[in-house]
Amino acid sequence: MSNNAFSIDLSRLKKQPKTSSTKDTDQVAEELGFSSREIVKKRGRKPSPRTGQVHAKVMPDTSVEIANEAKRRGVQQGVLIEEAWQLYKQNMATK
Amino acid sequence: MPTVVVASPKGGAGKSTTAVLLGTGLAHAGAEVVMVDCDPNRSLTIWSKRGTMPQRMRVLSDVTESEIVKTIKNHDNDGKIIIVDLEGIASRLVSRAISQADLVLIPMRATTLDATIGARALQLIEEEEEALDRSIPYALVFTMTKAVKSKQHSGIEKSFREQGVDLIEPPLMERAAFSALFEFGGDLYSMPEQGNMEKAIENASLFVQAVYQRLTGDAQ
Repeated sequence: MSNNAFSIDLSRLKKQPKTSSTKDTDQVAEELGFSSREIVKKRGRKPSPRTGQVHAKVMPDTSVEIANEAKRRGVQQGVLIEEAWQLYKQNMATK
Repeated sequence: MPTVVVASPKGGAGKSTTAVLLGTGLAHAGAEVVMVDCDPNRSLTIWSKRGTMPQRMRVLSDVTESEIVKTIKNHDNDGKIIIVDLEGIASRLVSRAISQADLVLIPMRATTLDATIGARALQLIEEEEEALDRSIPYALVFTMTKAVKSKQHSGIEKSFREQGVDLIEPPLMERAAFSALFEFGGDLYSMPEQGNMEKAIENASLFVQAVYQRLTGDAQ
């Protein structure tokens, strides 16, 4: 028989019982400089790109309507103002 | 079925080549093999896509630190040998994979730098054995060796032997066919001829048999 030919008897392979807990080994690893290299995702909401501000006083009923509409759509009130501004610009352009 | 972890904190030590030679050799000998690719360079995944995958082999890609223990647990009860190829850095992922190992293979080029950095893996295994209160068998395999041993190689080998470190014989020699695995995919039996194929197959087969003996306990 050549040195290259051999077959495996699976029943002879040995396997040890192991724990799933990584608490002890993580601590040992950390002490030896084998620390976590995974990128930790930042928790919480991403910062809004809307950093501009408008200073608008409106009539109370308008304020309530804007707030309700924003809540219904699940967007910030600023989004409605942006959309209104786009419509205003389109309207001015066609005049 | 047992889990073999191929680990070295040193990059370029020959981890992925060792893993592929072992996996394809075991599959060729009749075993079902699951290869777990934990290396961000995705060497095993690249190899698996280059050519036709040998029969009885499967590659799981992009397994991370938080998934490694669960991934091994999910596959080590279904009659398959698991081979884990790790990243070439010191990380928690390496430590967690070692905690699930039945055998840790530490590939190492026969240079002082590789031996110095590779020794960190030995230290980690010994500390984990203590923390887990179980023995984690490990063996060192020299990779990319030349036909004529350098003085440096002989010195490093002697030093490890004196410390009682298990050295796998034969070492994996520097062979065109071994590096070509990542060019053609598949195994040594399916790839176009590269250098002395007969010698390459013999070297790989004897290496796989040496690992198999350690998995059965015959090597002790």
